[in-house]
Amino acid sequence: MLSVLANLAMNSVEQLHPLEVRTLRAAAGELPFTAADLMAAAGLNLGQCNQAFSWLESKGLIAERERVRVVRYELTELGEQYRRDGLPEERIVALLRDAGPLPMPEIATRLGLEQRDVGSAYGALARERVLAMDGGRQVRAVGGESARVATVRGLLERLAGAGSEAAEALTGAEREQAAALSRKRGAARGVFRATESETVSYALTAAGQEMRRAAAAAGMSGVEVGSLTQGMLSDGSWRAVQFRRYNVNSPPGRVLLGRRNPYTAYLDRVRDQLTALGFEEFDGPLVETNFWCCDALFMPQFHAARDEHDVYFIKEPRHARQLPEPYLERVAATHADGWQTGSRGWGYRFDPDFARRTILRSHGTVVSAKTLTRAKVPGKYFGIMRCFRPDDVDASHLADFYQTEGIVLGEHVNLKTLLGLLKLFAEEVAGADSADVRYEPAYFPFTEPSVEVFIRHPTVGWIELGGSGIFRPEVTRPLGVDVPVLAWGLGIDRMAMMSLGIDDIRDLFSPDLDQVRRRVAH
Amino acid sequence: MPTIDVRDELLAGLLGAAVPAGEELERLLSTAKAEVEGYDAATGVRRVELKDTSRPDLWTTPGLARHLRCYRGDALPEYPFVSTGTAAPDTGERVVEVDPALENIRPCIAAFTAAGPPVGEALLLELIQAQEKLSDSYGQRRRAIAMGLYRAGAIEWPVRYRAAPPDTTRFVPLGFEHELSLTEILDQHPKGKEYGHIVRGQPAYPYLEDAAGATLSFPPVINSAGLGNVVVGDDHFFVELTGPHLDTLLLVASIAACDLADAGYTIEPVLIRYPYDTARGREVVTPRYFQADTSVELASAERLLGETIGPEEGRRLVQRMGSRARVEGSSLVVTPPPYRNDFLHAVDVVEEIAIGRGLGTFEPELPDEFTPGNLTGQTRFGRAARDVLVGLGYQEMIFNYLGALRDYTERMNAPARVLVEVANPMTENYAVVRDSIIPCLLAAEMSSQNAAYPHHMFEVGKVAVRDDADATGSRTADTCTLLVADRAAGFNDASAHLAALLYYLGAEHRLVELDDPRFIPGRAARVDASAPAASTAEGGERSWTAIGVLGELHPAVLEHWSIGMPCATVEIDLDTLRTTLQDA
Repeated sequence: MLSVLANLAMNSVEQLHPLEVRTLRAAAGELPFTAADLMAAAGLNLGQCNQAFSWLESKGLIAERERVRVVRYELTELGEQYRRDGLPEERIVALLRDAGPLPMPEIATRLGLEQRDVGSAYGALARERVLAMDGGRQVRAVGGESARVATVRGLLERLAGAGSEAAEALTGAEREQAAALSRKRGAARGVFRATESETVSYALTAAGQEMRRAAAAAGMSGVEVGSLTQGMLSDGSWRAVQFRRYNVNSPPGRVLLGRRNPYTAYLDRVRDQLTALGFEEFDGPLVETNFWCCDALFMPQFHAARDEHDVYFIKEPRHARQLPEPYLERVAATHADGWQTGSRGWGYRFDPDFARRTILRSHGTVVSAKTLTRAKVPGKYFGIMRCFRPDDVDASHLADFYQTEGIVLGEHVNLKTLLGLLKLFAEEVAGADSADVRYEPAYFPFTEPSVEVFIRHPTVGWIELGGSGIFRPEVTRPLGVDVPVLAWGLGIDRMAMMSLGIDDIRDLFSPDLDQVRRRVAH
Repeated sequence: MPTIDVRDELLAGLLGAAVPAGEELERLLSTAKAEVEGYDAATGVRRVELKDTSRPDLWTTPGLARHLRCYRGDALPEYPFVSTGTAAPDTGERVVEVDPALENIRPCIAAFTAAGPPVGEALLLELIQAQEKLSDSYGQRRRAIAMGLYRAGAIEWPVRYRAAPPDTTRFVPLGFEHELSLTEILDQHPKGKEYGHIVRGQPAYPYLEDAAGATLSFPPVINSAGLGNVVVGDDHFFVELTGPHLDTLLLVASIAACDLADAGYTIEPVLIRYPYDTARGREVVTPRYFQADTSVELASAERLLGETIGPEEGRRLVQRMGSRARVEGSSLVVTPPPYRNDFLHAVDVVEEIAIGRGLGTFEPELPDEFTPGNLTGQTRFGRAARDVLVGLGYQEMIFNYLGALRDYTERMNAPARVLVEVANPMTENYAVVRDSIIPCLLAAEMSSQNAAYPHHMFEVGKVAVRDDADATGSRTADTCTLLVADRAAGFNDASAHLAALLYYLGAEHRLVELDDPRFIPGRAARVDASAPAASTAEGGERSWTAIGVLGELHPAVLEHWSIGMPCATVEIDLDTLRTTLQDA
């Protein structure tokens, strides 16, 4: 009773759904009612009735009174076939009347029946004195009709006409045959199929009676207006209608929206941070030459990282038509004997054909090198560039991936400003605390000194944020730059993975729309 | 970057002290650009990665130990057995005679012998590791350096380095029990298959034998099972290196000799007699010093470091990093040790000073010159396109640029498309650079058929299109591609979205019917763009530029991708569109 009162307090007439109002109003006082009753009385369909019953029952406005189990019969496929072609008993009798006595196997063959089916049909019909067997094991018809077969035949026709019938609507004989010939659970063959269902009847509770009276008193019919329409606004009819109250806590539908990819959004954030720090963006083609990718960076042509295990070569055309002068000439001389760079060079004969070999850029520094030929002093540049390397693709390696690289040119840049730059990246781009930044000596063929920067991640520990250094004069002088140049690169894919909470690098480039739709960007 | 095993047992002996603990060792190793990758406490073996590919002397346990000794302040070691080319040390009977026919095959050799205590297992493993790292990693998979280690006691001098006929020269190679000819070794021996390409095709192959005709090896391929089979307990070794460049061999010979000297062996030089000229003459005693001094102006070093160092401190820091140095006027002159050849330029000395002092002693400073930041035109234009497409309800995607050729040709009903192909792909799944984003979006659609429909996806990214007008044979283009997939998706959806996109990017467009096997006939169009009419010259002819395609994907294409939903797409070359708008 307390719970009913509590429900009553929570429920007000205005909060009833139109289906609930219509159900309450159609419910016949204190008498029980079923869905079938209401379908007629309130003009609802079965689904609406069941929905309304479920809501009203959960609110304590109606209560279940009775459950009645109903068995209904319908034809199976076999039953339909028997109805059309005749029951085996009917066919056997017809055959024997037509063709005279026959041995049992002959009957089975002629009618296309299993021998055991013929056997069991004969057994029953013999008991009913419709068939008999003579001394030569010949079966013959002996007269009378089988009341049982006639009942089954009647049932077949009745169910074919009505679709299905409740067990109660059948005669006793029909019910007996229907039950005997119904497919049992798991049995392959059956003439009839029995389905069980329950009819539930409900009655209004005291609270339901109260609510019914309140709805009637409020003049609610259950046809309250769901939506405000343009028409109601233009003709003013909204003044005369009552709007249904909504349950504000019912879950809304899912919206499919247009959205930036969290990974590219992250890359754009880094772009914006770097431009805010005074860097100008650069870009370059995916297909490069050995010259710009390695030679201009003073990597000797015999360097181990330049063979087919570390660089993707292009199939066709194998060579660029030409390389820009005077850079080619100067770089070749620098490799051979240092040219005018103050270096002794690598001391080998530079192969200009190998320099023209086309490749997919294997690192972003290639664009830094090209930018040197047009760079301003002072100048700060960066690029976020897709690079390619022959790696087995797994959770931490991709065949193509992003690198973020850049350069700083200035009369006064030096090792201390290089460290300052790395500190800036660690704090501003990676969000590290200044106490959690560490610098280590590193090796890159194109920078000297070279420095790697590490940051302390709260859970992972020390991780490498990037590599850097001061470009060797063997790199800058041939490209026309006489001031020191800081060169740096950041492991952007790894930073993105940490920022996006991804631990498989392949997920950065996921083709799974649902995964991309659901990923929350920070 | 090589990774080596460093055994505590060996390292402690070479340091003359216990191996420093965990973080302290890592800090010290970082001054050699070395990083500990792992440690097995049970065996006392540490995996150490060496990042400096120009310092092969650090790729061995004795080399690392030597660096750590210098760095902690020990006196620089002396290696008097390294000849300077001025005095002629006594090489006794230890001579290698070189065959004139090798001049164009594998012309150079360096060698020495080492005598001392019977070799233990740890040192023998170290020597084999050094041989492998120096030959394979530093020696370009034995092309530039092949190193051999032999039992010296049984060798009859002089040793002959000669060019041998491939089919009639026979010996029992290491790992086999019967004789093979040199040709058979290339065909049958695992090392022959791995390294044979270095010599194959030459009229004769490099071959080392002693005065009695006993085989040492077939460099750079395999040692003999006799003299070339060094085992625990041996106490007298012959070491040789062959290759095309003498100085490279001299460097690595000095590394090996100094390592063995540090391990307690007496190094005995060997005289190499060349019948032809080499960079170091015809008679070369090895190990041999060949390096030159490197000089750095102290002032320029200090400018690059941003810190005042002073000459004496500079000298001390260089020595701490393992090289002798002296002050001459305003310069510091560095004499590299025999096992180093990485001073190409004065800046290489500057780094030694920085590391010797410790990077942590340099206070980070911000560059103080103002420069304006800016994004490229492509980035700004691409962002504008993204904003419009997101507003139209499209989910942005990002894909890999490498793909399988069939995805761009057969699967697109376009077998004749020519792409930028990789000559040395790892697998055929990553063998071409995409020339269109449409296959990427179809691949995404294929793997997203459980995601709620409709699907609106796009990417703004790069493609590489074959273009003979470009010097490299291809052109990289920023490209914007959208795909709509839904029960009734079609040409009209894509066309409406294209119209909105181009309107907001400031372009006018027209569609020209297009025959394209990727699309349903009659439902494909070339997209032409132009700057708005108001900006074309008065009375001038309206000029249109082709910027992309629009179409409803052919059911055959959808079937190739196992896609069960109609799809329509638009692909726009943003670079061409931007140029078209800028030129107007």
